[in-house]
Amino acid sequence: MTVRTSFRPLLVLLALSAPCMASAADYTVQPGSTLGFTSNFQGSSFDGHFGKWTAAISYDQAKPAASKFDVSVDLASAKTGDNDRDSALPGPDFFNVAKYPQAHFVTTGFRQQGSQVIADGMLTLRGITKPVSVNVIFKAQGTGGTLDVSGTVKRLDFGVGGGQYADTSVIGPDVKVTAHLVLAAK
Amino acid sequence: MSLRSDGRQWGSVAKFFHWIVALGILGNGVWGLLMADMAPSMSKITVFALHKSIGLTVLALFALRLAWRLYDGAPPDEPMPRWQRVAAHATHVLLYAFIVAMPLSGWLFNSLHGYPLQWFKLFNLPALAPKNDNLSHLAGAVHEWLFYLLLLVLVAHAGAALKHHFFDRDNVLRRMLPFVRIGRSKASQGELS
Repeated sequence: MTVRTSFRPLLVLLALSAPCMASAADYTVQPGSTLGFTSNFQGSSFDGHFGKWTAAISYDQAKPAASKFDVSVDLASAKTGDNDRDSALPGPDFFNVAKYPQAHFVTTGFRQQGSQVIADGMLTLRGITKPVSVNVIFKAQGTGGTLDVSGTVKRLDFGVGGGQYADTSVIGPDVKVTAHLVLAAK
Repeated sequence: MSLRSDGRQWGSVAKFFHWIVALGILGNGVWGLLMADMAPSMSKITVFALHKSIGLTVLALFALRLAWRLYDGAPPDEPMPRWQRVAAHATHVLLYAFIVAMPLSGWLFNSLHGYPLQWFKLFNLPALAPKNDNLSHLAGAVHEWLFYLLLLVLVAHAGAALKHHFFDRDNVLRRMLPFVRIGRSKASQGELS
């Protein structure tokens, strides 16, 4: 009896909060969206992109804390416009796609920092999971919008190009990741 | 030993440029032929980067050498038949052309392949042409063949120098040898023979 009554306020709270949680809108990612990266080789920067990836986006502009991103990237789809590099990237020294075909990023929280929205999350790459934070810029457009996300991944944190390729004076330590998503309401 | 060339021999600056460029070209050429078939690895990246840095250094040294030659002049030709003089100068012009063409063709090859060009990890040089995979194969072949042709001309150049030294016994080789100083008597002997 006493147990039942003590649960009641909690249930009321849950019921009240439900509309709040639902207010983060779910979006589908439209064609024209890109997921790219920039790094540095021998003092010269190069760009690449992933051809195959999926993202489940739930975003609340008014209350970013209620948002959630869940992104899976097919690592074998990385292209940088250079045959030598593109044949090395899937190999065991870099992404090792035979063992770890996908990278996964899922947000753990969103916070406002000045005018910036920062998404904190966990990136799993090459079997290693570490926190990565990204900047988020959302622009509403009708029922959809665009989302520009950028962050920096330290490649050696995940063993990408570790071992013989670990020399960061040849291959830069930082990989800037940028995504441009065209979103439509679900 | 004088820094400047004089009436009898090359000065030490001209000698330095001559031999350092010779060493750089031969060493880098052999290095380049050996590295071409390496399997992709960090060592390959390092070896190629060194080859490019040395090639650029040779190009810069050769430019300095030309500038010095214009300022310093050259000792007068040793006494020899006219055809030999003409052949010697023609060989020098050809050698100079190959010495410039070697690094430039490598630079072009590198550019067409879309690779960065960095000098000993210190600074980057611009591409000579935009990336082009088809042309890059051609430029690679040209870069390699230029070296074989340069070797042919080099055989004529070095062969002639040795011939003058061992058969004609004149000062052609001696006056370019490092740490060798030709005295007055030796020079006049050369003029008399």
